[in-house]
Order: sequence, then C-alpha cells, then structure tokens
Amino acid sequence: MTTVQDLPQIRGVKNIPIQEGYTSGHRTCQGCESALVMRLMIKAAGPRTIVVGSTGCMYVANTTYYSTPWVVPWMHTQLGSSGSAAMGTAAGLASQMRKGKMKNEPINVIAFCGDGGGVDMGLSAVSAALQHDEYNLLILCYDNESYANTDIQVSGSSPWGANSTFSPPGKVHNIMNKRWKKNTAPMLAVGHPNCRYVATACGSYGLDFTNKIRRALTIGGPTFIHSIDPCPKGWDYDPKYSHELGMLAVETGIWVQYEIVDGELILNGPTKAIANGIRKRKPVEDYLMRQGRFAHFTPDDLKMFQAKIDESWEKWWIPGVVPMSPEAGA
Amino acid sequence: MSTVAVEVVYRGIFQKSLARNIVRSIVFAARKEGKIGTAFGRYGDSPERNGIPAKQFAIVADTAEELEENLAVYQAHEVDVTINVDDTLCKGVESWAWYGLEPINKLTKPNGTLIVTSRQTAESLIEDIHQREEPFSLSIIPGVPSFSGLWVYKDDHTDVRILGTLCKVCPQLVSLKSMVEAIKDQGWSDLKITSAEKAYERATDRPVEPGEGSASVPFSFELPGWKTMEEGLVIRGQGAGGGFRGGEEGFQPDRNEVFKKWSTRSMRPVVNFETCIKCTLCWLQCPDTCFDVTPDGLFDANMEACCGCGVCEAVCPVPECVTMVNEAEFNDNNSQWEAWQLDKDGYKKWMTVLIEKEKLVERTHGFHHVGQYAEEAANAGDN
Repeated sequence: MTTVQDLPQIRGVKNIPIQEGYTSGHRTCQGCESALVMRLMIKAAGPRTIVVGSTGCMYVANTTYYSTPWVVPWMHTQLGSSGSAAMGTAAGLASQMRKGKMKNEPINVIAFCGDGGGVDMGLSAVSAALQHDEYNLLILCYDNESYANTDIQVSGSSPWGANSTFSPPGKVHNIMNKRWKKNTAPMLAVGHPNCRYVATACGSYGLDFTNKIRRALTIGGPTFIHSIDPCPKGWDYDPKYSHELGMLAVETGIWVQYEIVDGELILNGPTKAIANGIRKRKPVEDYLMRQGRFAHFTPDDLKMFQAKIDESWEKWWIPGVVPMSPEAGA
Repeated sequence: MSTVAVEVVYRGIFQKSLARNIVRSIVFAARKEGKIGTAFGRYGDSPERNGIPAKQFAIVADTAEELEENLAVYQAHEVDVTINVDDTLCKGVESWAWYGLEPINKLTKPNGTLIVTSRQTAESLIEDIHQREEPFSLSIIPGVPSFSGLWVYKDDHTDVRILGTLCKVCPQLVSLKSMVEAIKDQGWSDLKITSAEKAYERATDRPVEPGEGSASVPFSFELPGWKTMEEGLVIRGQGAGGGFRGGEEGFQPDRNEVFKKWSTRSMRPVVNFETCIKCTLCWLQCPDTCFDVTPDGLFDANMEACCGCGVCEAVCPVPECVTMVNEAEFNDNNSQWEAWQLDKDGYKKWMTVLIEKEKLVERTHGFHHVGQYAEEAANAGDN
C-alpha cells in the first residue's frame, strides 16, 4: 500500500485553506450545493489530487463546451463506473511508481458520483472498490436526490412522495414516488467490514465536511462519503436557501450525520445533540414545506413522512442508521 | 406568403413554464387563423440551469413548406419580436452553451420589437441594451418579472399580458380575437382574457434609434474548430491563482475566462466592509468561488464571476452586511472593495441608498409553494 499525504485535521473554520482547486465559471444552477461540495472537497484534499467523475451534473456542468473550472487534473468516467475508475487510477499510480516511471509520492485519488451514479447504477462498482483494501481512494457520492442534470428524474435516493419528471402528482394519485430513500452509507459500511471509513456529510457544515474528506484520505484504503446536496432546481426553492435547507435536513432528523471509523459509529454535530437528547428534532414539515417538490403534500402525507422519520429514530437498532433489531420477533 | 418568428428570452427553470405558455399560445392562436406553426426550446439550453438565460421560439408560417424551411436551422436567425421576461437580461445573454455575451436585441429584425416586463423606464432600459445600427421598438409591460419554480407555477397573468401586447405590436402574427380564443381553449379563466385585452389596449411603443443604448462591446471568444482541439479532447485546467490583483497579499483565484456566468445574475450582493467581522462564511459557502480575498482580509465579490444566488447574504451573521440588490441598479461590474478604498464616505452613502430602495421592491428567486401568490397578493394590498 502506498503512503498517504499528511493532511492534518483543520481546527476552526478560519483555517480552511485559502487555495482553490475548483474555481469560477461552471455551468451549474445558482446556489448549487454540489458545486460547493466539489470546491470544499478539493480545498481539503489539496493540489496533489486526481479527481475522477462519473456522468451527472458535476460532469456536464464542469467540462462541457471545452472549458472547465477545475485546477486539479480531472477525468470523466461513465455513469456506473466511479468505483472502477477510482480503483484503476489508484492501481495505475501505484504501478507507475513501482516501476519508477513516476516519482514515488502520495497522490490523493477521489472519484465522485451523483446519486444516480452511486446509489443506483454504480453501486456494484463502488462495492468492488471498497473491497480492495490495498488501494487508497475516496468515493464521494454527492446526493441531490434525483437525476438533476437531465431535469429531475427519480433515483433510488429520491425521498418518498417527491415531485419529479417521473413522479408527477395527479388528481387520483397524489404520491407517485412510493419508494423510501435508500440507506446507502450504512449498507456500504455493513457490507465491507475491511473498509476503514464511511461517513455521511453536508456542505452546509463546511468545517465538518472538509475534515471528513481529510480523514477519509488519510486513514488508508478505500473510503466512502455520502453527502446530501440541496438542489435549488429539483427541490424547487430560492437558491439562497441552499445552506439553510442542508442544515434543516439534519435538524429534522431526515439526514443523519456520522462517521464509521474502523467499525465504530461516531455521530456528529446536530445529529449527536439530537441522539443525546440535548436537542429536539424539528418537525419535518419545516423542511418539506420549504420545497416545491413537496408542494402537493396533504396533511396526511406530512404525517406519514413524520411517522417514518420518528420510526427511524425510535424503533431502529441504531437510530437513523441501522433499520433492524437484534431481538427476535421485535 | 410570410413567416413570423418570435423568441422568448428567459431565466432558466424560473421562467420555463412562463416561456412555454407564451410560445405555445402563439401557435394555438395561429392555428385559429389557418396558419401553421411550431414552438420549441433551443437545444443548447437544455437541460436548463436555474437563472442561466435560455430561449424558446415560436415560428408561424402560411404554409408547411415555409415552416420547414425555417426549422432547418438550429435557431431562428432573426425574429420579428423578442420577448424578454426579465429586464436584467437587457444587459446581455450568455447562454449555457458557449457563445460569449449576446446583446438582447441580436436577433430582433430591423424595425422589429423588443417586449420587456419591467418596472424601469424606457431610458433606463436603453442604457443597458447594446447599441446597434438598425432601429427597433421597445415595448414595456410594467411589472415585476415573474419567477416560478420547476414544479409550482406563479399564475400572475404575465403570460397573457405579454400575449395581448404581442398582438398589438405584431399584428401580422395573429389577431387579438384568435389569441383570446387560444387562451379560452387552454381552460384559462375569464380574468386572464381580460388581462390580455387590457394589455392589448395599453401596449406602448418607444422607437429606439440607431446608436441609442450602451456602447459597451459584449465579450466574445474564438471558438476552436475540431482541428484546433487537443488530442483526446484535453481541456486545459485553470491556474492555481495567487495574491489579490497580482500582489503578495490576499488571494485571487484564476477563473474560467470563457464562461463568466454573470448574465445569470438578477440580483447582486452589496457588501458593507465596515461591519464585516471577517467570519469567512460568505467566501467559504459561495458555490461559485466568486469572492476575492483582499490584503486586509475582507471579501470582495467579483462581479465577473458572481451569478447572484444569494447564499452569501443568507449565511452572513451580521445584519445588512451582505445585501442582495436588484441587478437593474448597476451599470458596471467594478470592484466594490476598490470603490470603498477610494472613497469610504461616498461608498457608504451609495450603499445605504441602494439598500433602502431594495426594501421597497423586494426581488426574489422563484415561487415555491401552493398559495404563495395569494399570500403575496394579499400582503401587497391593492397592487
């Protein structure tokens, strides 16, 4: 296994590096949280980093029409192959260094995928990459809860009931997306016991986010981070609320912030305060009714949504994380 | 034998349904008169991004052959009427695709009409619109530009008011009578018909002479041909950036020179450098990396890069330290920090006037929940 870079944890928001690896001039929406996630990711990783990206907003918006905001090297890979591309890049670097064809130095390898690329199509490749623990790499899933680039189709990560091009509410059937959001990060943590680091994150918590990237890159082996990215286009809200909606997702208990380090679960930020009973969960209505994609919700739909979130906090073995029970028949 | 073309220039997603309603209604109305037409969005604008300028077209012809002739091109080369549904687009249109900045009246035929929804005066709008050699007319529909979301449409009658005005300024397209029938056919209310008729009666027309307007030259680029592109379609990355304005201190990132994104902006942040506590949040949370770090540790929003999302205003913990102001108030993209350095008292006065004015007419991005328009209308009183 090659060595990792020295990327110490950042103490205080004012110590986040000033240098940019992802700059202005990308073709994203106003207030795009995923663009912010790219920017924070590369701030934390630093200039000696190779980024590989599967198809999605962050591919199309950042390299179309022969121009790019990337400062660091970046390569496109197919929709389902962020995992294989990350592993291939890491293996290629290791091989080139072993043969003396390039200087032996730790280079970060990050592959990103959207929820379509990571939670749906590329899940098997992500899983394969997480099994090969001789390579250092990070797979970052930026989850805007739909196929946002192609104008909002349902993905396995779309929340129950959300309006989309594939699930428009009608007069007879109000709820057209009947699937509950896939619980991706715990699935990958449970399924790959040798993977040393799996985390969830949100760009609204900038310091927490950058430190999670650094932990993932320095712990060694393949790692996975799942980030929730409010999408002003598909979620349908005023772009200035991107930051606030990310926080509301956490404060309502819909999105749970944690790290799983060598099998140990560490809750972060407001999630930790909620789990410890220091803070109360905000009602999901505060979050849902801010978004046009839930504008068709009836009071019953809201109740249903709230009940599912309550259940994940009150009935699950590990609240918000593991939806099973150790007791037989429970 | 004739063909009439109309384009609608709008803010991506926010005004997508509005633009669609306009171009579709034109074609429906034309069919009432035995003509044939088609309505379509420009391929290069899709998939749309919030706020990034986009275009939809309606082309109406007497015969199918004439229509086909016009549809054989990627977009209309010239249009009889340009409809601009957000007045800040008068400063120019930089498409999602790579064209540089295009004047709003680029496709408008000589003696054609530019319809704009705006609260500004004709003189103030003409200041923003690029000069050209052929005359055209400016027709203003008074009102705040109508912004919706992807799923929730703000039915404030902007669509029918534009259609009514269009029938007046371009009588060769369709008659008001056919337009009213087309509105009825779509199941819209009688109130919307009244709005269209009133707009027809009240339509104004201000001739714009050659040479009137902004003298600024819109930025453009030489597009690489397939022979000049690098092997493997390699795209050169951006530089690492350096000190503020090339100096030793602060930081200024290198930026994508060929896609600037500022024409996406309908509001811009105005910064009070005196109350700034240097918390870094505006800089850190900006998805567009638009803040330059000045030598004194302040954050200067770069107006060539800012697309006006408003996240900086939302995250700033100090009241009125960052305030989003209607883009129509500005005539340049100059640095605010530099202006403040030159004349601190003057800057403060300028800023205070802008912020107070902004409070009177609040401009927002979109419309996102059912019943919001009714609430807004109730709050606005007799407006």
